[in-house]
Amino acid sequence: MLLALLLCYAGWAGLCLSMDRHFLHVSGRPASARHRLGLRLGGWLLLGASLWAALPGHALGVGLVQWSALLMFSALAWVLLLPYRPRLAVWVAGLGLLASPAVAMVSL
Amino acid sequence: MKEAFRQSMAWLHTWAGLIFGWLLFAIFLTGSLSYFRMEITQWMQPEARLEVVDAGTAIGLAQRYLEQQAPKAESWFITLPDARQPAIGIMWVNHDGFVLKRLDPRNGAELPVRDSRGGDFLYRFHFELQMPYPWGRWLASGAAMLMFVALISGIITHKKIFKDFFTFRPRKGQRSWLDGHNAVGVLVLPFHLMITYSSLVIFMSMVMPAGILAGYGDRPQGFFNEVLPVSDAPEAAGQPGTLAPFGPMLEQARQAWNGAEVGQVEVYHPGDRNASVSLLRRSSDGVIYDPGTGLLLQGSSGQVLSATTLGSWPMRIAGGFYGLHMGHFATPILRWLYFFCGLAGTAMIGSGLVIWLGKRQLKHAGTAVLPFELRLVEVLNIAGMAGLVVAVGGFFWANRLLPVALAGRAGWEVNAFFIAWALMLVHAVWRRGRRAWVEQLGLAALLFAGLPLLDALTTDGNPWRYLLRGDWLMLGFDLAFVGCAGLFAWAAWKVRRAGLPKDSTIARRERVRPARTGALEAEMN
Repeated sequence: MLLALLLCYAGWAGLCLSMDRHFLHVSGRPASARHRLGLRLGGWLLLGASLWAALPGHALGVGLVQWSALLMFSALAWVLLLPYRPRLAVWVAGLGLLASPAVAMVSL
Repeated sequence: MKEAFRQSMAWLHTWAGLIFGWLLFAIFLTGSLSYFRMEITQWMQPEARLEVVDAGTAIGLAQRYLEQQAPKAESWFITLPDARQPAIGIMWVNHDGFVLKRLDPRNGAELPVRDSRGGDFLYRFHFELQMPYPWGRWLASGAAMLMFVALISGIITHKKIFKDFFTFRPRKGQRSWLDGHNAVGVLVLPFHLMITYSSLVIFMSMVMPAGILAGYGDRPQGFFNEVLPVSDAPEAAGQPGTLAPFGPMLEQARQAWNGAEVGQVEVYHPGDRNASVSLLRRSSDGVIYDPGTGLLLQGSSGQVLSATTLGSWPMRIAGGFYGLHMGHFATPILRWLYFFCGLAGTAMIGSGLVIWLGKRQLKHAGTAVLPFELRLVEVLNIAGMAGLVVAVGGFFWANRLLPVALAGRAGWEVNAFFIAWALMLVHAVWRRGRRAWVEQLGLAALLFAGLPLLDALTTDGNPWRYLLRGDWLMLGFDLAFVGCAGLFAWAAWKVRRAGLPKDSTIARRERVRPARTGALEAEMN
């Protein structure tokens, strides 16, 4: 569940930062087209991967409900953290991604 | 054309949301707390901190107790314990009524717990509103219908769902409230839609009876008999008989259901030769709520009389919505997520009410007295939100303060809830708007901060002991109370600060982070 949460959060972060004004807010400079595309693609891939991480070990129905709950919770966490501590919000996403292989090893 | 449609939807959203807003706020808050219904009941009966025992032991104790205490009852009902409800629940029905008891799973004796409705009160309130049957259910269903209308009209009204998907701009007054309202609305939308729609599905035979009436005329019971498997328990023979032990019967059911557990055992005509035992599946082992799977056994031998399974696909779909709403299947983490989603819904409704008033208050910013209708909304906002939180706090306080021997004790706990709420209404009328907010939120903070202390003074437990004992439930409550108190204190402080003269707050903010606010301002507007 932790793995799925980390992937969800990072996925939302990617999708959010692929939007001009949020990227500018966090980094202070506009994003290049390539940056935007990369962030967007990465964001969707991570959200997809979070579904894959959320399902094993549960009945299908329970897994899907947990995934939806994690999606909503992580999106809310990102959106509430971003305006107050933008750098921390991005750091959490990055560290979460870095930690995710280790988390995957432990939980698989 | 398109803009006209959007405007009419905005009108609908505004007014549908306002009229039922306070009621929906109360329904959502108590409903969210109901995800911890059994845990709240455990907290409210601190005499019985129990370990879970296995079903076989529990059913043996229940059978022994009932055979001694109620051999001549018409029927017995036994709820098997699980981690969330470690006591054994028993009930027996006589010709003149029923008796409810809770047994200690260690020795099968009656549990000496205080008389309290616990989490059941909050759970019942969230769809019956403490009104006589069926009026509360009708009112709650009406509110749910309006909630659904408000959700859909809100989606249509929201111009930039995707563009503003991640947008929340704090410290900007009305703008921030609207951002917050949209954020909790949009990001948690799947939950809002699910919980609202499923609440209508749960009461569908009540709110949309046309199909049943068309097919079954003046005998709607016929529909339920066909849809839900009726227990065709044999009639009493009128001769005494003995019951076989229930333990092996549980094992029998487990095998018949591929390992699924029994949740409830019902015994009909227990002292009779024709006694029968009905075993019902536990509802917490899957998303789909399943009232249908059961096994009817002969009481004397354990021989299978009939077996029922959850029937048709429509029943499964309805059971799916039912199960999703109730969340019985949720593990502790998912339960917390459910709870936070519920709070997000509560926050969405509350922020909507604040926005409604805030927009209209702007026009009267210079005048000292609000027009009556705005003052009415203000009073209801304060009493309906901050006042309700105080009432919940009062309910928890009453549980620890009322004497255990008091007659009608459980009823007085509920009374304390409503008395506190009514007092907050009076207070909101008496005090000016912002001051009333600050005082009620402050009082809520004090009440919740005081709960761990009160618990330590009135029971033999305290946070340190809970930690040593590994009693995570009681420790979790103490931490949650402190967390709530912090939240309310913060809210009170925010409201108070927002009321100070504008110049001073702006000046202070500029001092703290001059550059960033400026850049943000330029970018966001």
